[in-house]
Amino acid sequence: MLAALAWRNIWRQPVRSILSLIGLAFSSLLLVFMLSFQFGIYDTMKVGALGLLDGFGQFQPVGYDDDPDISRLLPNWQTLVAAAELGGVDAATPRASSFAIMASGDTSFGAAIMGVDPVTEPKVSTLASTIIEGRYLQEGDEAAIVMGEGLVRNLGLTLGDNVTMLGTGNDGAVAADVLELVGIFSTGISGLDRQITQMPLARFQDIFNLGDNVNVIALGGADFNAALHAAPVLTHMAEAEGAVYLRWDELQPELKQMITLDLSTAMLSYGVMIIVVVFILLNTLYMSVLERTREFGGLMALGMRPTQIGAMVWLELIFLSLLGAGIGIALGAGITLWVESVGIQFPGMDDVFRQWGISGRVYPDLSLLTALAGPSVIVISIIILGLIPYRRILGLEPVEAMGAA
Amino acid sequence: MPEVTRRHLLMISAAAVFLPSAAMAQDPQAILQAAFDNWRATSSHAVAEMTIRGSSGTRSLTMESWTEGSDNALVRFIAPARDAGNATLQSGRRTYVFNPKLNQVIQLPASAMSQSWMGSDFSYSDLTKTEQLVDDYDHTLLETRSQSGHTVYVIESIPKRGEPIVWGKQIVHVRDDYVLLRQEFYDQSGNLVRTMVADRVTTLGGRPYPSELTMSSVATPGQYTKIKTLSAEFDIDNPDYLFTRSNLQNPR
Repeated sequence: MLAALAWRNIWRQPVRSILSLIGLAFSSLLLVFMLSFQFGIYDTMKVGALGLLDGFGQFQPVGYDDDPDISRLLPNWQTLVAAAELGGVDAATPRASSFAIMASGDTSFGAAIMGVDPVTEPKVSTLASTIIEGRYLQEGDEAAIVMGEGLVRNLGLTLGDNVTMLGTGNDGAVAADVLELVGIFSTGISGLDRQITQMPLARFQDIFNLGDNVNVIALGGADFNAALHAAPVLTHMAEAEGAVYLRWDELQPELKQMITLDLSTAMLSYGVMIIVVVFILLNTLYMSVLERTREFGGLMALGMRPTQIGAMVWLELIFLSLLGAGIGIALGAGITLWVESVGIQFPGMDDVFRQWGISGRVYPDLSLLTALAGPSVIVISIIILGLIPYRRILGLEPVEAMGAA
Repeated sequence: MPEVTRRHLLMISAAAVFLPSAAMAQDPQAILQAAFDNWRATSSHAVAEMTIRGSSGTRSLTMESWTEGSDNALVRFIAPARDAGNATLQSGRRTYVFNPKLNQVIQLPASAMSQSWMGSDFSYSDLTKTEQLVDDYDHTLLETRSQSGHTVYVIESIPKRGEPIVWGKQIVHVRDDYVLLRQEFYDQSGNLVRTMVADRVTTLGGRPYPSELTMSSVATPGQYTKIKTLSAEFDIDNPDYLFTRSNLQNPR
């Protein structure tokens, strides 16, 4: 009965109600889209930055993160690879790495040398897709190496040249080899392009006297969230083997910090926007309550209790805000889904984005959270602040109210 | 009283005139210089055994080394078979490495100087920058103590401002016959990082010499590198070709 009255009251002033609805809907729409967009960028950043080399997670020997020494070996690594797949992660790849001197003629530079499995590595790392000259490592390669364009330039190499590698093996003895440069990659991250080199794992294990051992297992694949959800299981599995599992935010804590910082500054501006919208709407609604004092007096004279009238006005507010937020969510979700299918290009932002592994278009990511978080804060604020007009109605006297202007 | 003072002064100045070595011994920089001169002499030729105790076991290498002044040094490993032939040459500011398997000489980049030398607790820069301690640090004599019939000087050395040095300070113990007994390396925050200790001092090539040295890092307890000098001769005539790249690759 009250609900029906409230609903009818909303449409007694159609212009005002529609204007209020537009305001509500528009701010909800904006919140839905912005939040989805932000989370979309975060996802792209995570997948891009982690997928390039580190992977979405890693099994490591205890203490390796602080001191990545070649002699810290992963126990039972084959079991851990199997464990990762059981945990629901798409791909896992074993790696060994060390520091070595890369020399060509009289020029030499220090660089990281990674021994990787040419078959499983590209399933975890997108480094293979950044090859600009030559090719990535492939099955059957032996004395082959790929390196970044920065290092290639520093060493004055061209594709097909031989590179001398000099490092220290697991047993402390000299690990030396001559490798053919088969591919040059360009990730756009100059540090990586100057310092990372990769060679086939089997040859690496031989030269560095590692036997069948590896240093880490990097996890990856198509689904970032699979690794995220599997984290507790993977941690447990790592412990069982005497190793540790590092989540994405432990592999790249600076990425996590950047996301947190960005999100908190964004929250501040969303907060301001919500406050402004809520108070403008409340002002409009409070004005309409004041206008209707005579009407309320009449209703009271007819026998309606002030609490009932208050509840009715409160319901009007609730209906209006739910309707507005609902329209906003629907429109916002629609627009977001559309942009999700086409993506957004940011001209001039390439260099900044590349640092975080984002290339080309950015796609928003609509989820239940991004669709509902913003609008529901608006609705809940309005419902709570709606107690102000409600309280005013409770203080009305029928005769006085009917005499009001 | 004034006469006493005057007499004291006279005695002190007399001591300064007649005992120059005693006066010099109080200058920490001179003590360190003398210690390094004693260690390396103007030239040297030595055979030493290096034992490396690492996380994955112990291995032992034999090496032959030649030095000339502070700028030239050549170390060639002669045993075991797997390491034999590897050699390191310091020539002026440059360091070269020869690997027999590759039959190739590689000049070390600056970024690699801090890397471990042959898997030991020594780095390449330890080989080449020994004299840096004398010139690029300010020295203070912390204490003079007696130890088994010798006087031992404890010297604190702090890098001079602007010198690109990784250590925050070093504390060096030098015996009165200029044998380096102990060298402690501290980081910039004053924490001990590693220590080199002379476990045995014997007479080698006619001079007192730290014939057994052990280097160990605080971060890796239980691991160490011990260098035991088996034979040494000093102030010899090293042929000129010794410290060249071609000799590094193709020893005569």
